[in-house]
Amino acid sequence: MASNDLMVGLEIGTSKICVVVGESRTDGTTKILGVGQAPSRGVRKGEIVDFETAMQCVAEAVADAEQKSDLMIKSVYVGVGGAHIQSFNNRGSVLLPDDRDEIDEQDVEDAKISAREVSIPAQNAFLHCIIQHYHVDGQDGVLNPLGMLGQKLEADYHIIHGVRTRIQNTIRCVKELPLEVEDVVFTALASAQVVLSQQQKNLGALVIDMGGGTTDYILYVDGAVKQSGAIGIGGDHITNDISMGLRIPMARAEKLKTDEGSVTLGNCLPGETVVLKDDSGFAGKEIERETLNTIIHLRVRETFELLKKQLDEENFINYIGEGIFITGGCSLLPGIDHLAEDIFEIPARVAHAQTMSGLTSAFQNPQFATAIGLIKYAQAVQVERPQRRGLSRLISKFLPGIR
Amino acid sequence: MIQLNRNYTLPEREEDIIPIKVIGVGGAGSNVLDRVVLDGMDKSDLIAANTDVQSLASSVASAKVQLGRSITRGLGTGGDPELGFAAAEESANEVREALSDARLVFICAGLGGGTGSGAAPMVAQIAREMGALVIAFATLPFTFEGKRRSSQAQEALARLQGITDAVVCFENDRMGDLAAPKAGIHQAFALADMTVSQSVRSIVNLIQRPGIMRVGFDDLLAALRGGGGRCLFGYGESDTDNRAHEALDQALRNPLMDRGRMLEQATRVLVQVSGGPAMTLSEVEILMRELNRHISDETQLLFGTAVDGRMGNRLSVTLISSLRREDAPAATPPVRRPMETHVAPAAPQPPAEPSPQPLLAILPEQSAALEPAAQENPAVSAKTKELLPLEENSPEAAPVQQNEPEQAPAAQAAPEIEPTPAPEPVARPEPVARIIPPKKKPPLAPDYTGPKVLPHPQPEKGSREKVARQETLQFEPVTRGRFEKSEPTIVEGQDLDVPTFLRKNVRVK
Ligand SMILES: Nc1ncnc2c1ncn2[C@@H]1O[C@H](COP(=O)(O)OP(=O)(O)OP(=O)(O)O)[C@@H](O)[C@H]1O
Ligand SMILES: Nc1nc2c(ncn2[C@@H]2O[C@H](COP(=O)(O)OP(=O)(O)O)[C@@H](O)[C@H]2O)c(=O)[nH]1
Ligand SMILES: [Mg+2]
Ligand SMILES: [Mg+2]
Repeated sequence: MASNDLMVGLEIGTSKICVVVGESRTDGTTKILGVGQAPSRGVRKGEIVDFETAMQCVAEAVADAEQKSDLMIKSVYVGVGGAHIQSFNNRGSVLLPDDRDEIDEQDVEDAKISAREVSIPAQNAFLHCIIQHYHVDGQDGVLNPLGMLGQKLEADYHIIHGVRTRIQNTIRCVKELPLEVEDVVFTALASAQVVLSQQQKNLGALVIDMGGGTTDYILYVDGAVKQSGAIGIGGDHITNDISMGLRIPMARAEKLKTDEGSVTLGNCLPGETVVLKDDSGFAGKEIERETLNTIIHLRVRETFELLKKQLDEENFINYIGEGIFITGGCSLLPGIDHLAEDIFEIPARVAHAQTMSGLTSAFQNPQFATAIGLIKYAQAVQVERPQRRGLSRLISKFLPGIR
Repeated sequence: MIQLNRNYTLPEREEDIIPIKVIGVGGAGSNVLDRVVLDGMDKSDLIAANTDVQSLASSVASAKVQLGRSITRGLGTGGDPELGFAAAEESANEVREALSDARLVFICAGLGGGTGSGAAPMVAQIAREMGALVIAFATLPFTFEGKRRSSQAQEALARLQGITDAVVCFENDRMGDLAAPKAGIHQAFALADMTVSQSVRSIVNLIQRPGIMRVGFDDLLAALRGGGGRCLFGYGESDTDNRAHEALDQALRNPLMDRGRMLEQATRVLVQVSGGPAMTLSEVEILMRELNRHISDETQLLFGTAVDGRMGNRLSVTLISSLRREDAPAATPPVRRPMETHVAPAAPQPPAEPSPQPLLAILPEQSAALEPAAQENPAVSAKTKELLPLEENSPEAAPVQQNEPEQAPAAQAAPEIEPTPAPEPVARPEPVARIIPPKKKPPLAPDYTGPKVLPHPQPEKGSREKVARQETLQFEPVTRGRFEKSEPTIVEGQDLDVPTFLRKNVRVK
């Protein structure tokens, strides 16, 4: 098997590290060969806070993936998340020289460079520069301007950036293992690659990846990314709220949440309780179901409301025909789709990776959407530019294949 | 030493109920008290006493006493026990009133801070003066809280041991083992609260619900009095067919039991079994037989059962004992503190002899003296001596006093005293808190509509009060629990790491 047919996605999540080994088939499909996992420590809100510990966990997950897939991992595509990630849309334009009117690759490249000539905060670095549409002499919605005739080329980009040192932390964590970093990818962008089909991107959709530490989102209209970002709130907050509200340890709050929790209110019998089973020596606390669900509901509602507020700064959410797709571990909370419908007033559903073959159990778990999505992303990139390698891309990159 | 009383009496008549009051002193004390309330304990009055009004306001206790109204102005002690002591002194009358009619007073306090360490001994003294029997439940700070807290705690502990009838002492460091390694401080404290609450409830049950077996009060006190050693504690519960065995097994596995090993060395162990109406005597006998295998022949078991309808099918076992700490240096002799002079007169005089006896549903031969253990327990009598008037202590105390100037109380306390409650959480890893929602758009964005003003992260009036309680814990830089190391998620001036239900003022129980 040629080595560049193999792709590895690595998500250093707040609650788990996930390594997915995939193979790009000649027929264009992708097959998952193995999934490695390790509980994550030293990561908070999607960012590495304890370098040594996080590195150990990554090493563990990589070893697990190598064992499961029976392959040696040399290089990976890494997801980066965290509330420091921001985005905006911008347009770049170039005028063709008078003696030429056929648009070539250099013009496209120049338009992009011009789109990026905006100031982002000094400590930030560009993570993605994703093409939305081209305009040739004012004509809208051009998908590929190469070879077209015109005087003026304009290009709309969705630009994602984040704090440089934090992105570098993630890269360093992997490189010290040592593994080669093929690319760093915003987690929601990765998730969207497998949660949404091209058709759904075209019709417009919002992907919400609610993980352990962050809620990442990305919104597509007309097949192009229009809005994206991350909020530093996730399942950890729900667990922490439960722990404080019910006065139980975090570990038990976590178990209670995943085993019994729901965001739906008014669904319990009056006085219905859950009895906490326990092995640490303290037992038998009875917890009212409605109380548990209220704590969860309030946190998820608040997070969605916050997200809605961010999205409402622009008008794109009114153009998503396919509705909302919720993924990530928290999407497993019963009723979360209805709560989202309630708040966004748009149809919502829970989603996981759709378009892969191989280990079914892996892609049916929404917690793996990001890592699997990284493979899909890798595949798209490798198809576009099988030759390009090296870290130069990490600092400035141009990814025509990704939308 | 177990006597079965087969005339199994179900819950006693109203007039047999002993008036017990539980008072939580300081931040940790009131948190423990909240826990006791939440866990549901009847037949006793619960009082929160604190210098910090914000913490007091959020307490769920039925009665509250603000300590040192004019001295601390509701702002807490900033970790200064002198101030805590003075505050309790100022409010002595209110404390006295709150404790009136109690024949048994339980004091809960976290030692190491200002209020708990300074005021609890004063509260104990007031209770003793009123003729009540006093048992203190105290926690000692985590090592990571620093030397100063630890030495303040040791000093307060020594003082409590002198004034009270017994101190049940929990070392946070050892309770910390209960929580997963590196678990947040919230979790560790919550576990500590739970442990203390369970032991308070068990002992109350032991006294209030003699049930099939009865415990002498003096034995109870002797079992609790460990001479400054560590407290063995275990709690277990089960509702299976094999519940007696399982509950005991669980109790023995509690980290504070040192996996049952230490039990053999204990001279007295309190055993309290609670169960629903279906609990049978044979179950209790099975349990006792099994327990006997873990103790030495000399160990005296003090045993009580309680039938509690709320238990349903569950059966619970609580084991409590105090070990004498062989290698423990006799707790630091109290030094040169104003309170010494207050305490001294109260301590030597045997506490209100008549009161304890009628309190007890007791085996006759045990009901005699309050401190029968004195001879066999030199540690205790030594402690008692420390409380004798100042002159007796001064020769030994002298060297300690010499060390003092360097860390004179005022100087020690200075850095921690906060004139006002800090409006924002302290010590962030990065100087600027990130503010999320108004997404900053770069100037060239096509639909850029002009500069947006970032709302200054201003504390919202409504949310502040709810957060306040957390901030009382934020004395230590490590109290953000799960989010300790991460940047706070601040949106429109709200710290979103604080539970939503707290900020939205939704009551959960
Ligand atoms: N069945 C379940 N019900 C509710 N929540 C769940 C369930 N299973 C997992 N979770 C929660 O999902 C979260 C983990 O999700 P996920 O694995 O997507 O996050 P992550 O990728 O590790 O973190 P992040 O992307 O935020 O850095 C945890 O908070 C976990 O409690
Ligand atoms: N069990 C428990 N202990 C606490 C809690 N908060 C603080 N502590 C411990 O109690 C000690 C005193 O703190 P605190 O009661 O807040 O200080 P005070 O109010 O000035 O007495 C600290 O050093 C901690 O070891 C809590 O919520 N629960
Ligand atoms: Mg994730
Ligand atoms: Mg995420």
